[in-house]
Formats: sequence, C-alpha cells, structure tokens
Amino acid sequence: MSPRQTRILRAVIAAIRPRGHGFDQPIDEDVLASIETFFPHLPWPLRLGLPAGLWLVELGPPLFARRWCRFTSMPRDAAAAYLARFQHAGGARAALLMGLRTLVFLAFYQHPDVLASLDVDWAGRADTLVRRRAEMLGGHAG
Amino acid sequence: MATPAEHVAPPEHRIAYPNVVVGAALDGDHDFDADAIVVGTGAGGATAAARLRDAGLDVLMLEEGALHRTETFVTDPATMIRRLYRDAGTTMIFGRPPIIFAEGRCVGGSTVINGGMTWRAPERVLDHWQRDLRLPDSGPRAMGPYYAEAERILHAEPNDPDTFGGNTHAFLEGARRLGWPVARAPRNMRRCVGLNNCALGCPTGAKQAMHVTEIPRALAAGATLVTDARVDRILFKGRRAVGVRGRLLDPDGRRRGRFRAHAPLVVLAAGARHTPGILKRSWLRARMIGRGLHTHPNAKVVGLFDRRLDAWIGTHQAFHIHHFLEEGILIGYAAVPPGLLAAALPGIGEENARWMREYNHMLTAATLVEDEAEGRVVLGPDRQPYMRFDLSPRDLQTVHRGVARTAELLFAAGARRVLLPFADLPELASADELGRIRDRPPVPDTVELMTVHIMGTARMAADERDGATDPSGAVHGIEGLVVADASVLPSSIGVNPQETIVAMALRNADRWLATRAAARRRAVGA
Repeated sequence: MSPRQTRILRAVIAAIRPRGHGFDQPIDEDVLASIETFFPHLPWPLRLGLPAGLWLVELGPPLFARRWCRFTSMPRDAAAAYLARFQHAGGARAALLMGLRTLVFLAFYQHPDVLASLDVDWAGRADTLVRRRAEMLGGHAG
Repeated sequence: MATPAEHVAPPEHRIAYPNVVVGAALDGDHDFDADAIVVGTGAGGATAAARLRDAGLDVLMLEEGALHRTETFVTDPATMIRRLYRDAGTTMIFGRPPIIFAEGRCVGGSTVINGGMTWRAPERVLDHWQRDLRLPDSGPRAMGPYYAEAERILHAEPNDPDTFGGNTHAFLEGARRLGWPVARAPRNMRRCVGLNNCALGCPTGAKQAMHVTEIPRALAAGATLVTDARVDRILFKGRRAVGVRGRLLDPDGRRRGRFRAHAPLVVLAAGARHTPGILKRSWLRARMIGRGLHTHPNAKVVGLFDRRLDAWIGTHQAFHIHHFLEEGILIGYAAVPPGLLAAALPGIGEENARWMREYNHMLTAATLVEDEAEGRVVLGPDRQPYMRFDLSPRDLQTVHRGVARTAELLFAAGARRVLLPFADLPELASADELGRIRDRPPVPDTVELMTVHIMGTARMAADERDGATDPSGAVHGIEGLVVADASVLPSSIGVNPQETIVAMALRNADRWLATRAAARRRAVGA
C-alpha cells in the first residue's frame, strides 16, 4: 500500500477498533502490520477493491456525512460515527465496512495482550494438549 | 536446554512425506508422466489417489496449495487462514443473500480445516439417488460397504467425555430440557484431546485429515505429489483426456513456472467450485457443467449466558441435533476464536467491545439448512470460477425455522439473550420473543449466511441432460476424465459431506479401475 493508503487505513483502525470495557490496549500499529500481511493473500478483485474502498472512505465525508473534510482529518468519534453509518447504507459501502471490520477485529482480538485481557489462552492450551496427547499415545523423544 | 517432556511429539508430527516435489521451488517448464493424475488432495482426491495407487497405478497428485506439516500448525487464526484457506477465507457466493464460503487450499484440502464430522448421508437421500435419479448402486445398501471403508479411512470415533467443554454441556442441557434427542457425532480423529482448533488445522494431530492419512500412505507406496501446482485446463486428444497443464506458484500465489502432466486417466477433485471451473476453462460445453450448485448454508445464533462457559476449553461439536433433519434442519455448535466471532457481532468501537467483553459467556450455535434451490458456477472475465446462488422461498422458511429452533435451544439452556443472523432482527431478549422470527418478513437480503459445504456442480446422472458426469463420476462424452469430489453429489445431502465424498470416491474408483481393466483386456485381445 502507498503511504497515503496506509495513513487512511491507520485512521480506519482508530475508528473501528474496540474501546473501553478493558479493550484500550495501545496496539494500533500491530493491527496495521497484521492487516498488511493479509493483502497478498486476497483475491485480485479485493486487492484492487480494498485500496479503492479506502479512498472512498477518505473522500466520502462531503458525500455521505455533509462534512467538508477528509476522513483522516475528522475527530475520532466523528470518524467512528461516519463509518458506522456505512453499515446501514447497504450495497458497496456496507460490504466495505464488513470487510474492514473483519480485518481489524481479527488482528485486534487475536493480539496476545487482548487475548490475555479476555482470559483466553488458546496457544498455551495447545502446547499442553500436544504434549498430553503425545504422552497418551506413547510419543517418543525426538 | 529443552527438557525431555518438550520433545515428546505425537505420531502425526513425525510423518514422512517422500516423493514430494515443491512446485514453489521450480522455475521454467516441467513435464510429468503417470498412469493417473489426481487434481486436488482433499477428501475425494486423496482417497482416489490412494485407491488408484493401491491398484498398482503410477499416481501423480497435483495440489494448488502447499504442504503444511501438522507440527507447524498454531492457534493464531490470521496465520492459519493465510496458510490454509483459499483467498484467505474471503470467497463469496453471489446472490440473495450473499453467502461467505470457505475452503482449504493446502495439501489435504478442506479436510485440514473442517470440523471432522463424519456422517453418512441420510437413507432417504441415498434412496432418492437410486430410485428417483436412477443412479445404480447408490442406495443405502450398496453404499454401506463404501461408507464402512470411509469410516475406517477417516478413523471415525466419538469424543471422549473428558473433552467436553462448557458449551457442550450447555448444548446438551438445552436439548434435554426440550426433549430433543442429540446425536453423538462421529468425527475423523484419533484420541481428540479437545483443543478445538479444528478449523485452523489441528496442532495435536488428532484430526485424521488427509495430509496425515491417505496422502502419506499413497506417497509411501510410490505416488508422487507436486505442491503449489494450479491446473488451468485439461489436455485432449480427440474426445479423450490425456493430461493437464497449469502453473507453478510461489507462496504468495504468483506464477513461477509452467507444467504439463500426461496420463490416460485424469481425476478432477478440486472442489465443487474449481472442478467445474477447470472443465469450463477446458472448453467443455456440456450444459450441466457448473449447474446444480447446492450450498448447505448455515446461520449462526449466539447465546449470552450469565455463567461462564469458556467455550474455547473443550472439543468441537461433540454432538449434533439431527431430530429435524427431515425438515432439512441440522443444529450444531462451535467455539469460534475471538477475532472471528467479533466480526459476526454487532457494531464497531465501543459497541463491539461491550459484546466481546462477554466472550467467555457465549455459546455459538448454528443451524445448517438442506437447500432445495440450485445455483451455478460460471467463469468470470478473469477465467476464474464464480458462484451464484439464491435461496428459494422454501429455503428461507427453513432458515427461519432452523434459527428459531436454535434460539429456542439456547434459551432452554439458560441464555439470557440470543443474537440472530438477521440484520433487521439482531437479537431476542427472551424465549417469549421467538415468534418475532416467524413474523419476520421473508426477505433474504438481510440474512447472514456462510457455508463450507458446497456440492453438486458436476453431478452424476444417467443422462447428460441431467448431470455433467455419468453414474460412475466420469464426465459425459469424454474418455479418461472423471470427477471425485463433492461436485458429483446429485443433491444436497443435509449433513456434513466429508464421509459421503470419501465413500463416493471409493465407489467410483472401483468403476474406473474396472473400465480401465476392460480396456486393457480389449487392447490385449486386439
């Protein structure tokens, strides 16, 4: 992604990421890095569509919210309210928000700090159970 | 220094994979020769490959994805989705409503990422195939031995009670209070320990997916596997298939080299989306190729409980409710990782956080619907297969009934609120409100569905006007070209299709071998 698209995505993450209720971890840059690793694995329509969608978000406030500014210059709460309206808009905007929130939530809620705050330790349990099953089945050292 | 305990490994971590050619490491043009080419290594492809190898054929398996060994599996969804899922899990079936579709793209195919459910198709479905669709030897009696063999290959067994988690106990409690019988699910596993990571690859090795069973068995017997090899089209000599051609891909899916593979028997097992895609890209014009798409869609229903359930501690779907299968409804449950479940819950920012704070108090259930509507697979301008499917009015009614029954079960289990898959009716506050589901207008667009069970796009039929393949899975009108995946299933089966795909591949492989033997006898006689 270009630096400009990265800047828009960073603002999208700030607007979508969960807040309050124990979810105030300062991990936006980790979320951004995780999302960027997904891009090469998306099918080509999405690899083209997502950057275009980011520009729609960036240039959309005058069209969709009657605010004469760009998305990246909106205060965070206003930006979140602007994006939330996409959900009820239907069509391409709803699909775009669905895709963006999926990417943000996947990266955010699977972050180790967030998993710890949720009291979920799937990885630790995996280590324990791999060993337990190996012992049950007579696994060998090696 | 590591302690000895840290070196203890389950048997699936020590599997040898001989005769594997890593396509991602090859540049330039490459040629392969074999007696049989098998395209795809999921439930059908791996089964067919092993069966053909057992019969003495020189078998070449071609897999678009990479070989990911069990010991490399982790519990991070983003990592595993990128590695194991096609298009990072973003495939969409277009229609009303759009349906999210996920399938594996790795050695072992979707068997690596499924829940391991191992059900036979209901007898009424098999009776329908034999009696109404006139497919010989597809009824319950004829299929019985193949199902038994499939259960042996898949290592079907129920979960031990020591793997049941809080969500299993709540699911059972809800069913008990309603008087609904539950079915203890046979799953393809060997001493599951209840990690509940099935959909992201089983790090413990318990799930007996094809990459730990039939594929290494076939390789050890002398078969060859080329990974990272995407088949573009079939090669023909007149009306006979003589091989395939395709591209070798790097780990990011970019082209590296090209290949051609030659064999007198080509087995397509690339799944119900890509098998018709390959047939269509090969300029086969039969009308039925790509038609007959069934999606077996599922709708998620989430219960919020006052008590902690810790659904992530304990096994995946140890039970199903088959009590309503005659109505086309199957009810199950699963533990979904936080990062995936959050996307299915309402809102962004603070609103989503409020829901997710209760993650450990949630039971995620789902209703799976036996669909009567039929969609299709078509080629897009990029020559890739795209799917189109609209729910029929009756399917939509079945979704409503299934969601209502699932919500009823969750309330009976003690849920204080239930989240629904309807954008216009997102939640219910008590069982008294269940009637609101019935009263909801029958509008498909606001229903959220997903599926991992597509089938029927090269279905078997005696007449080529009714299906793309004959009753043995051979493509009508083409010699040496057969299909061995869910594409051949003639109708929606209403349950998880893995075992039926394996059983049908075994049944049909016997027929291909008989045809081959007859042809050889004729050749010797001539």
